[in-house]
Order: sequence, then structure tokens, then C-alpha cells
Amino acid sequence: MDSSNTNGSGQVHIRFLTKLQPPFKVPPTSIAVPANLTRMGLSEIVNLLLKNINPDLHSTPFDFLIDGELIRMPIEQFLHIKGISVEKVLEIEYIRAVAPQKQGDSSLHDDWVSAVDGTDKRFVLTGCYDNLARIWKHGSLCTHILQGHNGAVTAVKLIDNKGNSTGDEIFIATGAKDKTLKLWMVKFDAAEYAHYPVKMSAFKSLKGHASSVQCISANNFGDMLCSGSWDSSIKLWRVGSKGDGDSVPVKRRRLIAEEEESHEGESIAEFVGHTQCVSSIIWPDSQTIYSASWDHSIRSWDVQSGKAVWNMVCGKALNCLDIGGEGSALVAAGGSDHVLRVWDPRKPGTLAPTFQFSSHSSWISACKWHSRSTFHLLSASYDGKVMLWDLRTAWPLAKIDSHDDKVLCADWWKDDSLISGGADSKLFISSGISIS
Amino acid sequence: MDHEAAESETLPEDNDKSSSPTILNKQHSYTSDAASSDLEGSSGLSRDQGEEEDDSYHSASEESDSSEDEVAPRNTVGDVPLEWYKEEEHIGYDISGKKIKKHARKDKIDSFLAGVDDSRNWRKIFDEYNDEEVELTKEETKLIRRLLKGKTPHAEVDPYAPYVDWFDWEDKGHPLSNAPEPKRRFIPSKWEHRKVVQYIRAIRKGWIKFDKPEEEPRYYLLWGDDSTSAESKRQGLKYIPAPKPKLAGHEESYNPPVEYIPTQEEVNSYQLIYEEDRPKFIPRRYESLRSVPAYENALKEGFDRCLDLYLCPRTMKKRINIDPESLKPRLPSRKDLKPYPSICYLEYKGHAGPVKSISVAISGQWLASGSADGTVRLWEVENARCLKVWEIGEPIKCVAWNPLPELPILAVSAGHDVLLLDTELGDEEEQHRVKELLRADSSTMDDSGIVSWIPHEKYAGIWLKHSKVVTTVDWHRKGDYFTTSRSVLLHQLSKKQTHNPFKKLRGLAVSAIFHPTRSIFFISTKNHVRVYDLLKSKLISKLETGLHEVSSIAIHPGGNNLLVGSKDGKICWFDMDLSSRPYKTLKYVILLEHLVDKNVCRTHPKDITNVAFHRSYPLFASSSEDCTAYVFHGMVYSDLNQNPLIVPLEILRGHASSSSGGVLDSKFHPRQPWLFTAGADSVIKLYCH
Repeated sequence: MDSSNTNGSGQVHIRFLTKLQPPFKVPPTSIAVPANLTRMGLSEIVNLLLKNINPDLHSTPFDFLIDGELIRMPIEQFLHIKGISVEKVLEIEYIRAVAPQKQGDSSLHDDWVSAVDGTDKRFVLTGCYDNLARIWKHGSLCTHILQGHNGAVTAVKLIDNKGNSTGDEIFIATGAKDKTLKLWMVKFDAAEYAHYPVKMSAFKSLKGHASSVQCISANNFGDMLCSGSWDSSIKLWRVGSKGDGDSVPVKRRRLIAEEEESHEGESIAEFVGHTQCVSSIIWPDSQTIYSASWDHSIRSWDVQSGKAVWNMVCGKALNCLDIGGEGSALVAAGGSDHVLRVWDPRKPGTLAPTFQFSSHSSWISACKWHSRSTFHLLSASYDGKVMLWDLRTAWPLAKIDSHDDKVLCADWWKDDSLISGGADSKLFISSGISIS
Repeated sequence: MDHEAAESETLPEDNDKSSSPTILNKQHSYTSDAASSDLEGSSGLSRDQGEEEDDSYHSASEESDSSEDEVAPRNTVGDVPLEWYKEEEHIGYDISGKKIKKHARKDKIDSFLAGVDDSRNWRKIFDEYNDEEVELTKEETKLIRRLLKGKTPHAEVDPYAPYVDWFDWEDKGHPLSNAPEPKRRFIPSKWEHRKVVQYIRAIRKGWIKFDKPEEEPRYYLLWGDDSTSAESKRQGLKYIPAPKPKLAGHEESYNPPVEYIPTQEEVNSYQLIYEEDRPKFIPRRYESLRSVPAYENALKEGFDRCLDLYLCPRTMKKRINIDPESLKPRLPSRKDLKPYPSICYLEYKGHAGPVKSISVAISGQWLASGSADGTVRLWEVENARCLKVWEIGEPIKCVAWNPLPELPILAVSAGHDVLLLDTELGDEEEQHRVKELLRADSSTMDDSGIVSWIPHEKYAGIWLKHSKVVTTVDWHRKGDYFTTSRSVLLHQLSKKQTHNPFKKLRGLAVSAIFHPTRSIFFISTKNHVRVYDLLKSKLISKLETGLHEVSSIAIHPGGNNLLVGSKDGKICWFDMDLSSRPYKTLKYVILLEHLVDKNVCRTHPKDITNVAFHRSYPLFASSSEDCTAYVFHGMVYSDLNQNPLIVPLEILRGHASSSSGGVLDSKFHPRQPWLFTAGADSVIKLYCH
């Protein structure tokens, strides 16, 4: 603090508050700091204070909130903009900084990585333009190759079948440009195969779309699937396990490469309303399906009646959509421009986005909310960047610039990692994100 | 009362006569027309009713007449000698023009005998005129008797009633007089005549003066305002007063205030000033007016003044003050015309040579491009993924998707050939159909021998060998026919036939396109665009472009507006409802305030390579060899009275300049307000809103 005294550019009295647990707690005394400190300086101060208490502690980066807003500029400037008085003792809450600690782990594919799914903690699921879907155990070891599509795989989805995701059998749905969806059953961890990867084939093929399948989502029970396609329709499918083929009428049986019987399924419902490609679809709860389309609209559908309940036109062709945030009600969507927008559909009578994040420089290809945090979401863009956002600031928390080409897909994995696949045929995992 | 009887006798007959033609009429109408018979019948009915009413009216009027003294004569012949009717059976005509028949005349004896029997015979008079007997009533006989006696016809009239004067004579100022006008009022007065002669003499001799001449003012205000002076009024509006010389002020005073007198330095500094700007008069102070010397410049200044007045023409010049802003067309703001493509987000890289032509599939999912490196590439629009590459070998001139979404066929022109490529994008059934369509026997040869349809050796598709170079390909909206130029040919895909209906085309065809809705065909040559009707196979109109050399044409999806781009950097917009001349020509310099600060924007200074309309948004674009593409708002109104609105929106830059041209092709996305541009730098760019 000696240096701050000599620096005569003005001081502010601050007091650090936190909700963190004791090793990271600093005494709640007010101290005077130079007003031109940034986040970095504040973080150093907190680390110094913590080391005074516990000298063994490793220094950790912190982020600082004033009135629920993250500081991304000198305190002086922040207070000036917000019109907060400098006279009072300023209460600054600090949290652990959210940023990937570790980069790397690029898993090379044969072609563009078009879809990733990180729902399961044990593995990462990817879809690729070489018509294959892959399972990467721990994100690095390719254990299974799902083979059978005749077109580029555009969507992969792990079906959380009846909540027994810890079990050995996992169900996977994939959609591809060959206009079909395929269901796969993978016995994971059943036995340690001597030689990975294992080639798998689908147990059921769902046909009915007239054009490329663009997106897939499953409901919470894992017995239903919905898919959006370039033929501008949304179709619902029933997921049957491998054995109960009798629940779905078997139309044709034919042999495929693995000389394994493959059933064909038909859709049980179709939601018509979109006029162009349905590019993204989300099934957050059992009653509603949200969909985004190139016809510039986001719609929510009532599953029972099959009618569009809510229709919002936003003016841009949309590529991605996710529901999450506060009360799992905020809609985040990105599309054919560089702005990631977040709407609150509970606000009546306005189409203006609640939040707009515009640090990208090209189309947004993917956006995902963190599963537990209500503030954090990620976005991927064709400019080759994956960004991590906090609703409390308009600046990205982190920019991951590891891709050389367009990022086509991104997802959270294990709550602390970002996985992203792109047109450079790589799957990147950025881990070490500590979101409390 | 015979009269009445006769009337009643004639009535039914009349009725018969009047009704019979209507019945005939009815029958006639029944036979002629069933639909009009009802009308006809009803009209006949109404006519019957009308006549009956007429008759009843007649009788009623005659009754009312008989109640009066004078009975209207039944006969209408008038006051003619009755001998004229002696020989006739009738004595005249009644009011409706029918003959009144003579009654059989009784014998004198019979009448005498009847008179003997009838005690009232003496009252009966035979009315020869009406040919009837009239019996006089008692009142009438009484009246006759009184008349014979020379009395008033009616007994109640008193001829000697006392006279009541209706005018009240007492206390009236000017009693009405019956005295005639005196004669003197009609003849001219001699006295007055004498007086007039006196006056005339006096005027002639000048004794009488009418108005005194106005006294001229002896002094006038030398510095007064000329506009109110008599002189200005006399000369009317054209008079322009001469400019006044400068008035003498304080500085010209013999004893000016101190501040007017320049110091010696100031006077010296005057010498440095240019002679014309130098002050002419330097104020000086004198003790008294007497000591002021004569002004040496007085004569010269007076002369200069005279010269000024003489040499300066004082005429009214008409000057119009117009705000140049108001002359600019009032265009809507660019912000209101959103969305339009403005930012480049995606680049489709892969070609090794200039991309000559691009085409977007009608679904908006696929993009095809042909390049000078001899390859055709198929791209995914959403992520710029190249799905397929066809190596044709020759530089590609043009690619075009079949407009039917279920027929994903690509027409490619390269050199002398046109290729129909199967893109294998549809589902199985569509694939099957496409394969069927694209199956060509090597024997199918056109009779004329211009084009041969051969299956392609390397790729699934048909190879059309032309004898001449093919530059452009355009599909008909139904996806069966397509046309190629230079030599304009029509090809039918389903029958694998080629027609050459434009053998006698004058000039070299630059481009040929189909009308988006009707069976109309446009062929552009270097200077003209010819419009043909394909059904009647004749020329409808010839559009005069006035351009140096047409490079490309595009038709508005509404079908009434045509865009022509030229090699001298001009774009013509034709409204075919208006005339065969361009509705608007976007030339080298157009005013455009919001694009460039200097208020002046140039359209392409170089060749325009392509023009394109958007299918649904009111947008059109042009691409040029100067590496830019221009986006315009082109609103066509359904109201025929409103002319199309053209607003320049955006200049899209980004393509690198290359020796082989700048932007070679531009196409709109069919559903989004996006523009694809193909550059000679072998990159395709997608501009989004």
C-alpha cells in the first residue's frame, strides 16, 4: 500500500466482501487503494491479503463485482460511469475469476467437426463431416466410432435414457445431411477393449425429413427426440431401446455393412410453422420445445398440441439457441451476424434483447448456457473464437483462440471445461474453469 | 244520358281493341323468349291497367265537366260545316280519335208522334254537332227565358247595387290623378338649349377653365427616398433608382472628432496599401469652415460619378434562389430500408482461378460456382463447406440451378458445351427421377445437328455439345426448358430436344432469359433487348438501352421491370409498362448523400459484369470489374401509378483486384437478404445484413 500512497492520483476506500469459503476470505476492514486500479491490481491486493493470513496459499485470480457488475476498467472510470460516489467506503465483492486455466488437448478428426456433446462427464461425443460420430473417452481417446450415415453428421445428442446415465448402456442420437437420424446404443465401460476404436452401427434409423437434419434435442425422460431440418419442419420421434422394436412398426429390414438388423422408425408428430431451415432446437422441459430458424424467428411449441405458443421475430437468420440462465427462462441465440443476443421471454411487449454481446466478428455458430450457473454462457463463432460470457459484464470473460478456422460447435463439459470443434478438424478442450 | 250510354257502349269495345294487341304481344313473347316473357307480360299487364285507369279517368273528368255549365263537346272536329260529314257514317271523332257514329235518324212522323206522347218533348233539342238529343233542365229553360226578356241570366244578380269606393281619399299626400302627362315633358326645353349653347361658346373661347395646373414644388428632398418620388411612380416598376453617392459624415466635417483623425503612422501606413483600397479622403481638422481649402478632387469625383451612372447598366436581372438541397430527389433513409447486405461474414475459398459464375439453389442451402480453373464447386451456404468438385476441364462460363427444388440439377456452360450435372442432393425418390431425366442415349441427336445430347463420361449427367461458344444458361421457371446463348437455343430437358426459334436474330446475343411468370423471352444483344412471346412466337417489343455494350440483364420477379448492365458502367432500369426506353439510368455520377460525404457517388467506373434482383426483398445489385458490388433498393409498387423507387444502399468492397477483373458475378440468396459475390480473386463472399 506504500506505493499507492505515493501515487497521488486519488484514492478510494474499499472493503472486500466475498461468499467464498475461509481460505479465500480476507478481513472485512476498509483499505485505501489507488483509484486507477484495474481488476488485475485488485486481484493482487486480495492475494497479498490472503497470503498475510495463510502464506502457503497459491495466488488465484479473482474477479470483482461492484453493485452486481463485473469491473472491466479502472475503478475510477467505472465509478464515474456508474455515478457512484467516491466518498463512501466502496464494497467490492470478489469471486474467483472464471477463465480456462488450461488449453490444449486437440483431438484431430479426419474432417470438420460439426457437432459436439458434453452431457456425459466420462466422454465427449463428436459428429464429423466424414459421416462418422465419435466418442472420446476423457476427451482424448477415441473409443467408439459410430458408422452408418451417408452424409456429414450435423447433430449429435446423448439421450439421457430414464435418468440412468451412470449405467453402462448409453443411447445416442445423431442427425446427418443424409436426411436421417440414427439411434445408437453404446455399451460404455462394459469391457476394456484391447484395441480402440470400436466401430458401432446404429440400431435404428429414423427417416422422414425431406432435407438435411440440422439439430436434435431429447426430452428429460429420454424417450422422445425432436429434430429440426432444412425442410423447415420439426419432427418428434420416439426412442425405443434396442430390444423393443415391436413398439415401432418395422417397415423394412435390410442389411447394412455390419450385417446387423436396423429398424426404421417414423416420426410421431410434426410441427409445421417455420418457413425456412430449423437450425437449432432445444427441449428444456417436457412440455415445451424451443426452436430457432433461418426465417428469423424463435418459436416455442407446446408438445401436446403441436402449436407454436410463442413466436419472436428477431431479424436475423439464427444458427443456435439455448435456454438457461435465471430460472431457466432466458433465451440466448446467435445467428447470421456477430451479436449474441439474450432475450427474456417473460418480459412482455418487447422484442429488444435484454443482453447483447458483440465481441465476435462473424456468425455465431453455437451458444450454450452453463448448466448450473445462471450467469455464464459460451459462444462459438465462425471467426475461430470461443468466448465465455458473464451476464454481468458486456466484455467476454475469456476468448479462446485456439481454432485456426471456423468454430462450428461448442459445449460445456464436466461443468468446468469448454469443448469446441471447428473447420480445422480439431476438437479443443479448455479446462479448469471454476464456476461456483 | 245517351252520351253516357254511348260512352259505356264504346268502352268494352275499346278495351277489346286495346287488349288484343297486348295478348298478341304476349303470345309472341312467349314463343320468342322465355326469360324476357315475364318482363314483357308484366309490361303488358301494366299497360292494360294503365288504359283502364285512363278510361276511368276520362269518364270521371266528363262527369266533373257535366257538373259545370259548359259541357265539353264530345265531337272534336271543331267549328267546321257539318255538311262535310253529310255523306259519312260518322259525324266526327271523340277525344281518343275514334269515329262517332251517326245514330239512325228518326222519321219526322215518328218524332212528332213521340213528341205528342212525351209531355217534355218541347224541352228536347237535337244537337247536330254532337249528333244527340239534349234535354234542357228546368233551370236552363229558366235561364233562356230570362235571356229572351233581356234580363241578367241569373235572378240573384243585382245590377244596381250601390257603388263602394275601394280607395280611401282622405289625408293622402299625393292623390292619384288621372290627369295626362303635360306636353312639356316630351319636348326639349328651349331655355336649356340656350344655356348649353352659352357654355359651349364659353369653352371654345376659353372663358371656362376646368382644372387649374398643379403647382410644381419648388424644392425637393435631395436625399429622399426615390421609391416614393413622383418620378419613380411615373416610370412604373421597371424604374431602378441610381445608386446614391456616399453621404458626407462626421469625418468629412471641417472639425471632425478626434477619433476620426488618423495619426501620422496611420497616414504613412496608407502608402503601403494598394492604391485602389487606399482611403480617398483623409480627415483633417480646421479652425473654422472658412479655412477649409477647395476640394481638389471635386471635379474628378463628379466626373467619375457621372461615368458610373452612365456606364453602369441598371436593368432588372432575374435571379432564382433555389436551395440546391431541394433539387435532390427525396430518398428514404437507408436505415428505413433495412435489411440489405452490408457486411461480409463468410468466404468460400477453394477455387484456383477467377470465379466466373455462381448460382444459389432455390432452397437456399447450396451454392454452386464455376471458375476459370475448369472446376464447378458445390458449397454449403451456411458454413462455406465445399461439398463437391467437378473437374470439367474447360473454363466455366455460367452455372445455373434448376429452379425446381425437387430437381437438383446444375446446368454448366463451358466452352462449346453445356453440362447438366446431377448434384445427388435430393432424397432417394428425387434421385431416381433425376437419374431418369438425365439418362441420355448417345443416339439422341438433334435433327438440325446443332446440339447433340450425350451422356457425360466422367460424371452423372448430360453433355450438350454445341457448335458455337456458349456463354449463359438460364432455366425456365418450370424447370423443363433452358436456354443458352450466344446462339440462342431452347432446350427441353424431358424430351432432350433442342429448338432454334431465333435463327434470324440480328446481332450477337449477349444473354437470354425467361420471364419469371409468363411465356415471354428476353434476348439482349449489344444495344437492344428484344422481348419475344414464346406462345405466339413473335417479337413483342424492342427495348432501346442506349448503352454502349450490354453485359448482363436481369428480370424483376414481378416480371415488369428489367435491369440491364453495360460495359460502360451504366445500369438501365426498364419499366416495361412505361416505355421501351429506360425508366432510369444509373450513370457514372449519381447523387447519393448518405454513401459518400462529398454527396457524389460514382457507379462503377468500369464494366458492369452482372446485375441481379432479389426474389422477395426489394433489392437489386450490380457487380463490376472495379472490385465492388453495389446494392440498391428497388421497390416496385403494385399500384401502376407509382413508379419504381430506386435508392442506392451500399457499396460492397472486399474483393482483391485481379488482372482478370474484379467481381465477376453476384447473386442474391433466394430467401435471406444476403448477396453472394464471386471475385476474380477466386473467392466467393457472402454479404449479410
